[in-house]
Parts: sequence; C-alpha cells; structure tokens
Amino acid sequence: MKTAVMIAIIVLADSAGDVLITKGMKQVGEISTIKPKELLSIAQRVLSNRNFLSGIFFMAVTFFSFLTVLSWADLSLVFPATSLVYVASGLGAKFILKETVSLQRWAGILLVCLGVALTSLS
Amino acid sequence: MKTYPVLAVAILAQATGNTFLSKGMKQIASVTIEDSHWLALFPQAIESPTLWFGTALLIISFLLFATALSWADLSFVLPTISVEVILTVSFADYFLNEPVSPMRWVGTLFISIGVILVSRSGRQMRRASLEKENG
Repeated sequence: MKTAVMIAIIVLADSAGDVLITKGMKQVGEISTIKPKELLSIAQRVLSNRNFLSGIFFMAVTFFSFLTVLSWADLSLVFPATSLVYVASGLGAKFILKETVSLQRWAGILLVCLGVALTSLS
Repeated sequence: MKTYPVLAVAILAQATGNTFLSKGMKQIASVTIEDSHWLALFPQAIESPTLWFGTALLIISFLLFATALSWADLSFVLPTISVEVILTVSFADYFLNEPVSPMRWVGTLFISIGVILVSRSGRQMRRASLEKENG
C-alpha cells in the first residue's frame, strides 16, 4: 500500500514535471544559436520562467520519491510501474486537454495497466 | 547511423543507474534504525558513493537521450525506452537477486509492448497534424 502511494506520487509528479518543462521551454522559444552571449541570455530567461522552475521542482519530487520507495521495494516492481506515466498522460490528453486518443494508444495504455497489475501480483 | 550506439549507451546507463540507486538505498535502509522516519535516510544518502554513481549514470543517460533528440525523431527515440524496462528488470534479477517470478516477466513484457504502442501512436498524430497544417 505504501509502495502504491509512492508510485502514484512518482507518476503524477513525473507527468506534471514533463508538462511544465515543455510549457516553459515553448514560452522561451526555439534555441537556434550557439553564440555564448545569446545562450547566456536564453539561460537567464529559462531560469526565470515560472513553468520551467515548477517543472524542475516536480522532477526533483519524482527523483526523491523514486529513491525513497527503493529503500524498501523491489526495483523490478517499481521501475516497470513508473511506466504508468503513459497512462496518466493518455488520460490527461483525453479528459483535460480533450484531445482525440487513437485506438492504438488506448491499446498501449491497456497493456501497460495489465502489465503493472501482473508485476505487482507476485 | 550514430543514433543506435548513442541510444544503446543511454539505455545501458539508465538501467545500470537504477540498479545502483536500488542497491545504495537498500544498503542505507539496512543500517538505519527500523522505526526511524524515512527522512532520516537522506543525510546518509548524500554520503553514499553508490547513490552518487547511480545518479551520475542517470544524468549521463538523460543527456544522451537529449542529444539524440537533437537529430533523431522523438517517435523513434521514445519507443526505445521500452527496452529500458526489460533491461532494468533483468539487472534487478541478475545483480540484485530480486525474485522475479514468471508472472512479473510477463507483466514486464506487456508493459514494454504497451509503451511501444503508446509512443508510436504519437508519430501518426504528428503526421496527421502536419498534413493538416500544410493543407
């Protein structure tokens, strides 16, 4: 049970981190220069972007939750279960972003769920 | 084709990193007093070379994936993550002596096929939206 809660935290924080970092980087814009001076100003914009910083925060939560759960649970149980992030992003796409989710993606989501159920049975 | 070697090293680094993190955290947990709060693990975690090595490997893996993404398509890179799951479970079985039952292997296989299906479905979506944009 404790393990399931930790995995849920990992999956939710990981999805949140992905979305926020993507959003932040899109706001900063495409990086198409290698000039040090311009790269420095881009880095400044990235590091002052609130979405990017929140994304980094959630990534840190993901990492430390992963470490914590590994202190008692099997790696062969925890790591496959983190693939539930694909289920979370699929459901998020369908119900929050109202995107159309293809049949192939639903099939994949179903397989991941079945797989996690099977790995946790033993 | 430089994409394959880079992704292969990235996947290997990720699976090895996971293995070291698991080993390191269990070493620490085994010497910590049983009833102490889980936060008590962290001061020791900072001093564990095993954990630092595992973390370094995960950072290397992340950088390699990011580098590969600068020239390769996301829908090509993403399905390779499915291999990570199988390799990590293999390492847990072989190096950490975790009891991986046949049921867990089947579950792992299901998950990796599922991950391939989910990440490949993105390719079709992107193609469809590109075609829409280009009229």
